[in-house]
Amino acid sequence: MNTLILGTAIRLLVPVFQLFSLYILFRGHNHPGGGFIGGLIGSIGYIFYAMAFGPKSVVDMFFMRLYVEDRADTRSRSQQLLQTIKKNTWQRKKTLEQLKKGEKKGIHLEPMLLIATGLLLAAGSGLAGLLLQQPYMTALWTDVYLPILGKPGTPILFDLGVYLMVMGVVLKITFIMSEE
Amino acid sequence: MSHLLLVLPLLIPLFGAILCLFFWYRPGAQKILSLLSQLGLVSAAVWLLLQVNSEEILTTQIGNWPAPFGITLVADLFGSLMVLSSSLVGLALLVYSLRGLDAPRQRFGYYPLLLMLQLGIGGACLTGDLFNLFVWFEVLLICCFVLISLGGTRAQLEGSIKYVTINILASSFLLMGIGVVYGILGTLNMAELAQLVRAPDTNTSLIPMAGMFFLVALGIKAAVFPLFFWLPASYHTPPIAISAFIGGLLTKVGVYALVRVFTLIFAIDLDRTLPLIMLISGLTMLIGVLGAAAQTDFRKILSFHIISQIGYMIMGLSLFTPLALAGTIFFIIHNILVKTNLFLISGVVAQRHKSFALPFLGGAYLLQPVLALLFVLSAFSLAGIPPFSGFWGKFMLAKGGFEAGQWLLVGTSLGVSLLTVFSMTKIWNEVFWKNKPQEEGAPSQARELPEESPAERRTRRLMYVPVLFLSGLIVCMGLYADPLISLSQRAAEQLLNSDVYINAVMYPPK
Repeated sequence: MNTLILGTAIRLLVPVFQLFSLYILFRGHNHPGGGFIGGLIGSIGYIFYAMAFGPKSVVDMFFMRLYVEDRADTRSRSQQLLQTIKKNTWQRKKTLEQLKKGEKKGIHLEPMLLIATGLLLAAGSGLAGLLLQQPYMTALWTDVYLPILGKPGTPILFDLGVYLMVMGVVLKITFIMSEE
Repeated sequence: MSHLLLVLPLLIPLFGAILCLFFWYRPGAQKILSLLSQLGLVSAAVWLLLQVNSEEILTTQIGNWPAPFGITLVADLFGSLMVLSSSLVGLALLVYSLRGLDAPRQRFGYYPLLLMLQLGIGGACLTGDLFNLFVWFEVLLICCFVLISLGGTRAQLEGSIKYVTINILASSFLLMGIGVVYGILGTLNMAELAQLVRAPDTNTSLIPMAGMFFLVALGIKAAVFPLFFWLPASYHTPPIAISAFIGGLLTKVGVYALVRVFTLIFAIDLDRTLPLIMLISGLTMLIGVLGAAAQTDFRKILSFHIISQIGYMIMGLSLFTPLALAGTIFFIIHNILVKTNLFLISGVVAQRHKSFALPFLGGAYLLQPVLALLFVLSAFSLAGIPPFSGFWGKFMLAKGGFEAGQWLLVGTSLGVSLLTVFSMTKIWNEVFWKNKPQEEGAPSQARELPEESPAERRTRRLMYVPVLFLSGLIVCMGLYADPLISLSQRAAEQLLNSDVYINAVMYPPK
């Protein structure tokens, strides 16, 4: 479905979807919302993007394919890291072209990694309670008050994990469906 | 301490599965990770059992919300015995599948699924909340669905469709039952339900009706007569490592849940329910074993025997005496080990002979005498011949039945034992004793055995390890049955004396 109108609209809408999904994620503690619905809303952007430009461009656009600079013997690790970041951010267009031509090799970030990270975050957020000899999943809060987000605590980690996992699952489904 | 102990059997497989997901494309790493978490699970289960053994019932409230509002986890002796036996079987199966499962299946997430299945079993055995019981059953169902259809052969897909259809039906019955219970009593915490049901001012006239929903739903999951048809249609289709796990464990979780809800919640007005369960149990035993007699496939015979054995477990519940319930508990644990072992033995035979069909098998005794010995041991144990573990379970059940005066039921169960021996003799004759069939019509690869390559021989040797491990456990259970029998008797007393359970959950010591 390669139309100009959809393509242009999606480019503008994707950041809106993402911001809104974050808003939904953070208001979820006391109001309707939370990780699950936030993740779904956030992944709408990716689905539309895949519809408009194809799943390959989703991979390129949202940093799911990264380039890792080879470490030459003369350079230190920090220089290598800086190079990698540079190639993946402001020189990304050029790098992507090189990746496409096969001149350079990139690493592919799978949606499975997103799922696993999300699960780890969600399941791990409960461990804090166990360490303090409280039951698993006991909510712990810090005393810091952040301007928009409010008081951070372990529940937000859980929600963030759910958010990532939902996003990963939807992306995985989208990629598989669009292959067929 | 109990907070940690109770969640460890759930967290270890969960985190193991998550770590396996990080190594999705590296089955080698997944093998190591899942083996480590399985070992961790076994030790956590042993620890839990020891602690429960010394301190009666342990509870924890997930999220620190007090019962009945929070999510309660409860470990009594029955639950922790189930967790321990399932983790032991899981360990044996994991070792078996390191070599006994083909590489493509291993690449498609077999190990994380296996761990998630263990998580589901642990959750179902430790939960103290009806709705959570439903959720854990769903975890089990989803993992099983993927495991049964993993690989996507035609027979597997057919089996998995039957499996899923009937199990979704069962889940919706379970959900309806939960809804009815919530509508009547207004809570889902099992301890509070037990308390309310026994309170003098509660109107309990509708409770047995809600119990019927649970009987049907959990009956489908446990494969009792007349709801068992899905089991022999689906359990023999996946590769042996998977069907051994599912066949050995899952129906028993259904029986566990039946015993739990009928001793804790629906334990009032049992005059009409118990005869019904008794009828079901007798018919389940009989029909299962008769079905097995008609089969000529190694795995299908074993699948039908699962059903027949379920009848014995239900029999203990229907008698509802401490001795009979202890028999049920002992029998469940014995059966989990024996049934898995028999499935594994069929897998080892098939690995050499490339077939499960009895007409094409033969001469295994000459080729694999040790395996034949191990088979005889498990088969005798399944049939209940004295020194082995099955005898003690059946003895307790029969004695409980005689004490309750249920001559017909006990007679049926003893007759079915005889038929079980017949069925095991059939396998023995066809697979191990008779000569390899040479006539036309048999597939060529089954007629003469190909030479075994050194790699295959190594594979086979590794496949012996879990079989030996489980056989050792079975022999120990038979010859040194006293500790487990006294444990199951205490577990049965805990089940029947629900005040302990209620107090442990509702009024935990500060």
